Amino acid sequence: MTGGAVLQFEWFVDWLRGLPQWVFNIIEVIRGIIYGIYDWLWVVINLLWTLVIDNIFFLFKAVIFPGLIFVVMGLIFFVWFTRKLWGRIQMRRGPMHMGKYGGVQLFADAIKLISKEIIIPDKAHRWAYRFLPSLLLVVVLVPFAFIPWDTVWFIADLSVSLVLVFAFLAAVPVIALLAGWISGSKYSLIGGFRAANNQFAAEIPMIMSSVGPAMLAGSLSIMGIALAQSSVWFIFLLPINFATFLTASIISVGVFPFDAPVADSEIIFGWRTEFSGVYFTLTYFAEFAEQMLYSALMVTFFFGGFYGVPWLPGAVNFIIKFLIMLFVFVTVSSSFHRLRQDQIVRYCWKYLLPLSMLNVIIAMLAIVYVPGLALLLVGG
Amino acid sequence: MTPDILDETVEVWFGPQHVSAHGWATKLKLVGDFIVECDPHAGYFHRSAEKCLEYRNFRQGSPILERLCMLEAFLAEYPYISAVEQIAGLVVPERAKVLRTIMMEASRIHSYQFWWGQLSAEMGFFAMTLWPWVDREFFLDTFEELTGVRHSPHFSTPGGLRFDFTEKVLAKLEKAIQVLEYNMPKFEDMLMKSPLFRMRTEGVGQYSAKEALRWGLSGPNIKACGIPMDLRKDQPDPNLAYDMVDWEVPILEHPDHPGESDAYDRMVQRFNEVKTSVDIIKQLIPQIPDGPIIDPKARAKANRLPEGEAYGRVEGARGITSLWLKTLEKAQTPYRAKIRGPCFHSYYALKHLVPSARFADFIVIFGSLDPYPGWWDR
Repeated sequence: MTGGAVLQFEWFVDWLRGLPQWVFNIIEVIRGIIYGIYDWLWVVINLLWTLVIDNIFFLFKAVIFPGLIFVVMGLIFFVWFTRKLWGRIQMRRGPMHMGKYGGVQLFADAIKLISKEIIIPDKAHRWAYRFLPSLLLVVVLVPFAFIPWDTVWFIADLSVSLVLVFAFLAAVPVIALLAGWISGSKYSLIGGFRAANNQFAAEIPMIMSSVGPAMLAGSLSIMGIALAQSSVWFIFLLPINFATFLTASIISVGVFPFDAPVADSEIIFGWRTEFSGVYFTLTYFAEFAEQMLYSALMVTFFFGGFYGVPWLPGAVNFIIKFLIMLFVFVTVSSSFHRLRQDQIVRYCWKYLLPLSMLNVIIAMLAIVYVPGLALLLVGG
Repeated sequence: MTPDILDETVEVWFGPQHVSAHGWATKLKLVGDFIVECDPHAGYFHRSAEKCLEYRNFRQGSPILERLCMLEAFLAEYPYISAVEQIAGLVVPERAKVLRTIMMEASRIHSYQFWWGQLSAEMGFFAMTLWPWVDREFFLDTFEELTGVRHSPHFSTPGGLRFDFTEKVLAKLEKAIQVLEYNMPKFEDMLMKSPLFRMRTEGVGQYSAKEALRWGLSGPNIKACGIPMDLRKDQPDPNLAYDMVDWEVPILEHPDHPGESDAYDRMVQRFNEVKTSVDIIKQLIPQIPDGPIIDPKARAKANRLPEGEAYGRVEGARGITSLWLKTLEKAQTPYRAKIRGPCFHSYYALKHLVPSARFADFIVIFGSLDPYPGWWDR
């Protein structure tokens, strides 16, 4: 009996002796894994850090100054500016209670709108309803990367950035049409089709008007067009193109004289009717962002971009002209009666399109036949 | 067989939760951008005003009528008061007659000022919406100085008035008219000479005088067709002071389409109406006689009325506003009161006017007739 018990006991002692080694091995393995992850992370972080250090200037531009934060703050300022100016034009005071001169009103409004209940209609496509407003804002904000605020302060510059910007902007009415379609409301659908109709009417005159500056500059890059105006601004050579571009951009944004897509007395709020809460905020901001984008493009194409007062930094020159363009935008959009949809289309095709082509032809003939002009353009 | 395009209509409810449908709803059938059928519905604003009148005595009835149209409150309350005065045989003092007329014309101007803004808002021009409304504040100040409230003043009472004019009221009224006369040319420029306004309104909602008569339109809507149909001139009320004034009924004869009116003509006509009203007030203010504003026995006489029927009417800002009143012997309340609002007819005229118009023009046609939902739902 005893022999069997001793045998059992010895096996147990052996097992006990091996236990520390076993625990040690497990710890070793875990330590190896942790060190491995640490080493790997170290390499990755080093790599990333090197990337950040190497591109710190680009990151700063993309995130802070002419990039996201600057544009969003500019957007908030512009909404306040628009409301204040509309108030002044309409003999009101505009926002005035939140902060000095109502400056914080927009934050209060945004908090209110974001915290509101989101009501999605039964007939709406829920996924698209949640996705499209964000997509719209992104599509409108991305072209800001190509705006040359200064010779140094720009995010990206491509040789075809002009075409790329218009490609992005061509997506806006598609999103508006889709938003009207998926909302599951007849008013939204009518508004969506009107938005698309507006854009189809206005886009060709607008691109025709931008052909003039591109031809004079000999470049399809927005930066190239801005650089070409060092000696003479294109507004002096292409005044009609500027007028057509301004009108076409107002039509394509869909603000007041041409706001048939969101005409509140006819089709409640057009394709935005069913959007509520934060989705409405996004579409609303997208409209203002689009106005800002067109103002910046007009400054670049016709008002010499960053050229202006010589002893001021280029970005300051640009922003001053940018604010003046925003002022023009708001003033024009608050002093006319609304046109009907068919009248807008007729107006675009009968008047804007021939006019926008006319000025390009005149400018080309002038460059060929007026001797000093070509020298002036190249800065001679 | 070709498919009928009318088979593919889209039905759209314009109201009652639509932004510009403040208490009314119209069913529209669309083919593309065109309206092929318009079905105005009444009843979304119904507050049983006629039944309410049967439960109030003769001095309490007029505020109910003011609620039907806040904008022309001085005019809206008058048909009831006129009917009570006719049944009770009350004699209104001279001063009360003149003051009543002045305030009724002021109320008319105020109503049109509101309407300029409203039509502009419906066409998306909000600066022009708020500019006349700023001038309208001066008239509201006058009403407040006179009666203590800005809307629903309850100014007249059977047999006279409840409030008398003071120097301050007159000064405020003169100031209001001064501001109006200073700003009206600007509004004429912004509306009648604006090419975009003309593009939107000319040829829109056009009807002939014959059609207007058949539909029962009245007021500026028919005067714009060139028919001088005006109760102030046709059947002068003995309790109002229009005979003391030298004035002409404003009508509009458009050179291109005489005998017809479109939305643009009706806007021009309402400017003419305002000019006439200003003229009447300016002539009446120097003629205000001294004396009491109410017969001291009127209050007792209006407590119990003899048996009778009467039809009180007035040329309101939107057309003929009238009320038929029947009382029984020694009545403290009416047996029956029937209101005939001017806008019931202009609202149902949409049924004939709107088809074949564009969807965007619907609200312009509606606005150009100047309807107020209180008048058709009562």
